[in-house]
Amino acid sequence: MTFFSELGRRLLMLVRRHQFDRELEEEMRLHQELREQEHLGAGMSAEEAHYTARRHFGNATLTQERSRDMWGWSWLENAMQDVRYGLRQLRRSPGFTAVAVLTLALGIGANTAIFTLIDAVMLRSLPVANPGQLYRLGDNNNCCVMIGTQKGGSFVLYSYPLYEHLRDDTTDFSEVAAFQPFLSDLSVRRSGVASAAEPYKGEFVSGNYFTMFGVGAIAGRALSSSDDKSGAPPAAVMSYHTWQTHFGGDPSVIGATFTINTVPYTVVGVTPPGFYGDTLRSDPPDFWLPLAADPDRWLFSAEPEWLYLIGRLRPGVAPERVQAQLTGELQQWLGSRPEVIPERDRGDIAKQHIHLTPAPSGVDQMQTDYAAALRLLVTIAALVLLIACANIANLLLARGAADRSASALRLALGAPRARLIRQKLTETILLAVAGGAAGLYVAYAGTRTILLLAFRGAHYIPISPKPSLPVLGFAFFLALVTGVVFGAAPAWIGSRADPADALRGAGRSTGDRTSVVQKPLIILQVAFSIVLLIGAGLVTQSLRNLEYQHFGFVTEGRLIVNIAPSLAGYTPDKLDGLYQRLEEALPRIPRVLSASLSWYSPLGGNNANEGVYIHGKPPDYRWTAPSWDRVGPHYFETIGTRLLRGRAIEERDTPTAQRIAVINETFARRFFPKEDPIGQHLGMGDASHSGDYEIVGIVEDAKYQDTRGPAYATFFLPLLQTPPGEPLRGWVGAIELYVAGKPEDLEPFVRKTVAGIDPNLTILRVQSFAEQVNLNFNQDRLIARLTELFGLLALILACVGLYGVTAYAVERRTNEIGIRMALGAGRRNVLGLVLGSALTQLGLGLAIGIPAALAGGRLLAGQLYGVKTYDPMILGLAASILAGCAVLAASVPARRATKVDPMVALRQE
Amino acid sequence: MLGGVPLHRDEIPPGTLYLLILRTLARGGEMHGYEIADSIQRISEDVLQVEEGSLYPALQRMLIKGWVKAKWGVTAGNRRARYYQLTTLGRKQLAVEVSQFERVMRAIARVVQTA
Repeated sequence: MTFFSELGRRLLMLVRRHQFDRELEEEMRLHQELREQEHLGAGMSAEEAHYTARRHFGNATLTQERSRDMWGWSWLENAMQDVRYGLRQLRRSPGFTAVAVLTLALGIGANTAIFTLIDAVMLRSLPVANPGQLYRLGDNNNCCVMIGTQKGGSFVLYSYPLYEHLRDDTTDFSEVAAFQPFLSDLSVRRSGVASAAEPYKGEFVSGNYFTMFGVGAIAGRALSSSDDKSGAPPAAVMSYHTWQTHFGGDPSVIGATFTINTVPYTVVGVTPPGFYGDTLRSDPPDFWLPLAADPDRWLFSAEPEWLYLIGRLRPGVAPERVQAQLTGELQQWLGSRPEVIPERDRGDIAKQHIHLTPAPSGVDQMQTDYAAALRLLVTIAALVLLIACANIANLLLARGAADRSASALRLALGAPRARLIRQKLTETILLAVAGGAAGLYVAYAGTRTILLLAFRGAHYIPISPKPSLPVLGFAFFLALVTGVVFGAAPAWIGSRADPADALRGAGRSTGDRTSVVQKPLIILQVAFSIVLLIGAGLVTQSLRNLEYQHFGFVTEGRLIVNIAPSLAGYTPDKLDGLYQRLEEALPRIPRVLSASLSWYSPLGGNNANEGVYIHGKPPDYRWTAPSWDRVGPHYFETIGTRLLRGRAIEERDTPTAQRIAVINETFARRFFPKEDPIGQHLGMGDASHSGDYEIVGIVEDAKYQDTRGPAYATFFLPLLQTPPGEPLRGWVGAIELYVAGKPEDLEPFVRKTVAGIDPNLTILRVQSFAEQVNLNFNQDRLIARLTELFGLLALILACVGLYGVTAYAVERRTNEIGIRMALGAGRRNVLGLVLGSALTQLGLGLAIGIPAALAGGRLLAGQLYGVKTYDPMILGLAASILAGCAVLAASVPARRATKVDPMVALRQE
Repeated sequence: MLGGVPLHRDEIPPGTLYLLILRTLARGGEMHGYEIADSIQRISEDVLQVEEGSLYPALQRMLIKGWVKAKWGVTAGNRRARYYQLTTLGRKQLAVEVSQFERVMRAIARVVQTA
C-alpha cells in the first residue's frame, strides 16, 4: 500500500517539476536569510553575516540537485536533456545529418524490405483458426498425379477412396480435408449476363475444407460436407479479392448462378478478406468448388493419387502416435488393393509411409521455392547495411574530431566522461531512429519492387508490402542496435579529448587516433563492395546466359494464346472441327506469317511424359519417361524449331491417315544410337502398342520444361490423331502465331477471330512467346536486379566513404602539407602523399575482398548458369570499376590538397 | 573561532539524521527547515550541526517516503516558509529508528566498556 502511495508521490513530482524547483529554491533562500539574521544578531557586520551565511550554506546548486535526485527521476531528466541537445546539434549541421540519415535509411530500409518478405513468406501462418493444430499428411510437394508407390516411399498424394478411408478411420483428427495441389483454369460466366466467359482460377476441395480450417464466410456461407456429395446442387465459394475487384462487392452475387466450365454453380458465399487458401501463391484461387461437383474428377478410382491432405489434430494428441497409425492404415490399404500396386512393386509396400508434418502455413510451396533466394538477399542486404554503418561511423569519427575542443572544454568544466559518451551515443541513436523511420519508406518501396520482380506476370499477390507490427519492431530494433554499435566507438574516441587541448587549440598534434579506426573501416567497405560487385556481375551474366541461350525455338515475333476448349464443354468428337476452323481462320489474320496449334507450348509450364515402347526392342526402364506433346501442322516452323531430317507434322496427318510421330535429337540418340530412326515404330501403354506410330522426322532439341538442363527426349504426335479414349483433362490448347512486327499488337485481332469461331471458347491468356519464356526466369531476374542495385549502392557508399576519409585526412594535415611545400615538395609529391594512403586502403580492401568473393562464390555456384564463380573477366571488370571510382573519389580532395597555399596552411590553427 | 562559526564540527553519525529530524518534529509540531536545524543545534548544545546540504535532501526523502508532510505557511517575520509535520507513518518510523538506535548504542557501549 505504501509502495503505491510512494510511487504516486514520485509521479506527481514528475509532473510538477518546475513548481518543485521554485519552491525548493525559495525554501533554501529563506533558510540562508534566517542564518544571516542570526549572525547579524550575534554581532557581525551586514557584509560578514551575508558571506558567512553563504559559506555555511555550501554549494546551493549541488544541494538542490541532490534534493531533486532523491525523487529518482534524474536519469530521465538527463536523457531528455541529451535528446534535446542532440537534436540541436544535428539541426546545426544539416548536411551531415542529411547524409547520415539517408545512408542509414537505405541500409535499414533494404533490410526491412527483406524482412517483410521473410515475415510474410516464412514466418506467418495461414489466416485461419489455431494454425498450430494443422498437420499435413506428407512431407514434400511432389505434384501432381501419381500412380502406385511414391518417391522415397513418402506418400503426399492420395486417391479419393484412400482419403475417405483415412478420414473416416482416424479419430484423432477433428477434420481431414482434401484438395488438389494445383489450381484449375475455370471458364466462368454469370447467368443472365450477356458478356463472354472469363478465365478464373479455382480449386476443387472436399466439403469439410472450410470447417477444417475454421474459416467462415463473411457473406453467405462456406462449403459444407453436404455440398460434396454426388447429386448435390453444385455450390461455389468466391474469394473476397475476386468479389471486390471483379464484381465490385456486389451483394447480389451471393445466391446467383454462375456457369463454371459449362456446369451451373450457385455462389453460396464469400471468404473473409485475407484468406487465400492452403498455399501461399501468386494468383490464389478465385473460387473454391466441391470435389464432387465436377464429373471429371476421379472420385471413385483408387488408382490416381492426386489430392493433398491436411488435417486438424485434436488438442493433446501426440503426432508421432497418429503418424504410426496412419502409416499402418496406408500399408494395409495398399496391400489389399492390387489395382493400385502391381505385383512387381508389392515388395515396396513396407517402405511406404505417411509423414505427418506440422503445417501452420499450409503447403509451403513458396517457402521452398524462395528459401535460397531469400537467404541470398538477407546476406546481401546485411552487407549493404554494414557498409552504410561503416560510413556512419567514419562520419561520426570525423565529427567527433572536429568537436574536440568543445568536448575538451566540457571535460575541463567537470563533465564526467561517461556523461559525454552517453550524450554522443544519444545523438547517434537519434540519427539511427530517424534513419529507421525514413527506412520504412524505402522498405515499402523496396518490397513492392521485389514483389513485382519476383511475381512478374501475376495479377494478385496475397502479400502486403505495408509494414506490419513485427516489421516495425524489426526496423526499430535494427536502428537501435545500429546506433549503439556503430556509435559506441566514435563516442568513446570523441570523449577522450584532453582537457588541456581546449586551452592549447587543437591541430598541433599530428598523432590522430581517429584515422586509426577510419582506415580499417574503409578497407572493410572496399572489401564488402567488391564482393557485392563480383556477385552482381556473376548473377547478371548468368541471367543473360539463361535468357539468350539456344533454346531450340525462336521467341521473336511469336505470340502464344492459351485456350481451354474442355472448359467450354468441348468433347473429343467436337474438337477436330474446332481445330480445323482455327487452322483456317488464324493464318488469315493480317500480318500472321504462320499459325499452329498444340496441346502446350515450350516453357509454358505444362508437361506430359509417358514411357514408350520401341517396336523390336526390349522395354528400356533405365531412362525417365520421355516428354511428349500433340501438335498440329506448321508447328515447328511457327515456333522456330528446325527440322533436321524427314518431315514435320502436316495437314495430311488426319484422323484417318497413318499414325506418325516426330522425335527430337535426344530421343534419337537415346533410343536409336546406332540406326536410322526414320521408319521405326513406337507406342505407349505397353509393349503390344509399340508398333502404333511410325517415326517420320527428327527435329532439333528444344527446351520445354527445364531452362537450365539439357532438353528432354521428346516425341510429337499429330493433334488431329488423338485417339477417342485419350483423356484431355488438364490439357489446355495453345495457339502459336508467327507474326511480322510486334506480336502483342495482334491480340485484339486474335480475340475477335476466336470469338468469331466460338464465343464461348475461353481465352486464358495472350502473351508474346518472349514474355512466356521470360517468366521462367523471374527468380533469377529478381536476384540479378537486386544484387545489381545493392552492388551499385555499395559502390556509391564506399566511394563516398573514401572521399570523406581522404578529405578529413587532408584537412587534418593541412599544416603538415604547408610545411612540406614550404620545404620544397612539389604538387606531385603532395598528390602522391594523399593518394598513396587512399590507394593503400583500396589495395588492402581488394586484397581481402577478392578472395572472400571467390570463397563466397562457391555458395552461388548452384545458381549460376554458364558462368564460373572465378570468371576472370567479371572479376577484372568489377575490380577495375571499383578501383576507378575509388581513385576518382579520392582524387578530388587530393587535388584540393595540391592547391594549398603554404603560407595559409602554416598560419592555420 | 572565526565569526561565531566553529571551525571544527562533529560529524552527525550516518543514518541518524532521519532520527534527529523525526524526533525534532515530534517534539516541535510544525517547523520549517531552518527551525529544524536550529533546534537540533540548540538541544545538542552546538555539538550537532546539520549542514543544509544534508538537511534538504533528507527532508525530500522523508516527503517521498511519506514520513512527513509539508505545507506552505507564514513565519513570525511575515515570510513564506514551508512547514513540515510528522505523519502517522512518520511516528511509526520514529519508533523503529529509536529502538534501532538504542540497540546499537547499547552494543557499542558494551564493547567500549568491557575491559
